[in-house]
Amino acid sequence: MADLAGAAAGPISLLAGFVLMARMRQFEAVCLEGVPTREIHGELHVGVGQEAIAAGMAGALQRRDAVVSTHRCHLHGIAKGVPLYPMLAEVFERESGLCRGRGGHMHLFDAENNFSTTGIVGSSVAVALGYAYAFAIEPSNEHGQSSAVAVGVTGDGGANIGAFHESMNMAGAWRLPLVVLVENNQYAISVPIEAVSATETIAERASAYGAWGRRVDGTDFEAMAVAFAEAVDHARSHRGPALLEATCHRFRGHFEGDADHYRTKAQKEAMQAHDPLLLARSRLIERGEATTEELDRIEADATREMQTLLERVRADPLPQPSEASRFVFVEEMGP
Amino acid sequence: MSPDSPASPSTSKDNLRNLNVSQCVAEAIGLEMENDDRVVVIGEDVGHMGGVFGATRNLQRRFGPRRVVDTPISEMGFTGMAVGMAMAGWRPLVEVMFVDFVGVCLEQIYNAIAKNHYMSGGRVRMPIVVKTAGGCIGSAAQHSQCLWATFAHLPGMLVVAPSNPYDAKGLMVAALRSDDPVVFVEHKALMLRRAGDFSIGGQVPSEAYEVPIGRAAVVRPGSDLTLATLSATVLSALDAADSLAGEGIDVEVVDLRSVVPLDFETVAASVQKTNRLLVVDEDYLSFGLTAELAVRVIETLGPTAVDRVARHAVPDVPIPAAITLEHAVVPSADSIAEAARGALR
Repeated sequence: MADLAGAAAGPISLLAGFVLMARMRQFEAVCLEGVPTREIHGELHVGVGQEAIAAGMAGALQRRDAVVSTHRCHLHGIAKGVPLYPMLAEVFERESGLCRGRGGHMHLFDAENNFSTTGIVGSSVAVALGYAYAFAIEPSNEHGQSSAVAVGVTGDGGANIGAFHESMNMAGAWRLPLVVLVENNQYAISVPIEAVSATETIAERASAYGAWGRRVDGTDFEAMAVAFAEAVDHARSHRGPALLEATCHRFRGHFEGDADHYRTKAQKEAMQAHDPLLLARSRLIERGEATTEELDRIEADATREMQTLLERVRADPLPQPSEASRFVFVEEMGP
Repeated sequence: MSPDSPASPSTSKDNLRNLNVSQCVAEAIGLEMENDDRVVVIGEDVGHMGGVFGATRNLQRRFGPRRVVDTPISEMGFTGMAVGMAMAGWRPLVEVMFVDFVGVCLEQIYNAIAKNHYMSGGRVRMPIVVKTAGGCIGSAAQHSQCLWATFAHLPGMLVVAPSNPYDAKGLMVAALRSDDPVVFVEHKALMLRRAGDFSIGGQVPSEAYEVPIGRAAVVRPGSDLTLATLSATVLSALDAADSLAGEGIDVEVVDLRSVVPLDFETVAASVQKTNRLLVVDEDYLSFGLTAELAVRVIETLGPTAVDRVARHAVPDVPIPAAITLEHAVVPSADSIAEAARGALR
């Protein structure tokens, strides 16, 4: 069983995208199992309903590229090729986790794959700016080679913090290989984007920064993959930053336990029609690229894969209480 | 006990290179940029201008605009940029011009720079220096704070504040070589003072050297009272000690040099001798360095080993504009001497 979901694989077909999205959904499903059991004893933010965006990233990313994600980060990690076992172990607070159980589900760091996250909304964009600057001043760039790119993921909420503007401006001023991917699920927790945005779209703000800008239906895997590949190509070929707004629906509350009274029952029912997995499924069947049985089997395989992973993680120990003060400093200091 | 505390820096005036403090800092950064291609300097006015105090002078000319980056006024953006660059393998020095401005970018400093090593289970390092100017130069509430205790309260950052040219250079070299993040608070009132004007640390070698972070220095030996402080206040404390000597009071002055780590062992060793402790701080009084150090010393020596503990700091008011009011709240040689007399009564 390969841990790598799709990073560096090159453009991927709708069928491969369906496989990836099925695995993503089941990864989130096993995370959700840890909430009622208190194995995840704090907040959990899952990306159920937003799979097409992360899956659409996978084909355009290379291992050297950086992705800096948000509090709702698991799916971007999967897209970047972060190994699933230590990632799930981190979500379940285990010593075997990506961060030895010190980070938790929204503070993931995988230095080997240039993947990291921040739990502070919008801060990811500024950190990605740093990667983009680092890639831009690599000596190899002086010879005109294609650049590694940095992807800062944020949401419609994060697009309104000051660091978003500052980072987009610097990336534009210095033509840095930065892709800012805005997952517009239309709600900053409870506040709808149309109530707090001066512009109708986030994408149209690109022109203020000399950036490539586009809005795409982020529930449509194929449209998303094409748009993201264009954004990455723009940044990789030294043409400056790109701002891609991908619209989507957050099927669950902001966090597990969110009563989600700010959306009506009708709204929540209507968004199910935009399930990226259902959309991909019907398109595959319509085109004769897969049968219902084949797709059912893919989903069953994904369920089995993630259940096996969960069993493995549950067998791992939690960190030792005596180790709580380790890792504050590189040079460990006394109490 | 810390028997290996460095002796006070040389006070000899022979062969003095009469640099000012900002030149010493710039020299340290330049040497480390030569030593390590991964060191970059990021901030407002650090490049073409060479810093508002000249502490990055000539660096852009020597190392180019890619490694010495003049940024827009975007502290949130460029402190975050330092985080990403560190994760990509660089060693950024990021300048927040005045420490008062840290409010707009503390997010990246205390949530990312300070915590990423811990949150990654030790797998991601943040070798970042946050260089910033603190201290009072008559510029009132939003341009005169020290705030080192604010950083010290938040786990994960080393916090240094040098008092003299020798330490400014050596602590900057140590900060740039540290794999832990370091907040380097330089005092505005010292930046343009020349080495010859300092009673301590005026001799600054031209080569790179480290002053180890976390070691206090006894800069004046004495037997009646231990006076611990740091940054520019060390100089006021030495002046106060000189005038108290005329009154027959023998003060030992300890330059803490860093807030994190806090070398309370050196202070405790001094208090063991004097039995009296006065902590002076240009930062705010409450919940800060003065109480922290006093308690650490008492915890080390036991509550009965200390005859007197006194504190003198900015009394929890914003720094006022009018000079009469400023003098009323910011510790000076006179007010320190008065606090010392009080501690001995």
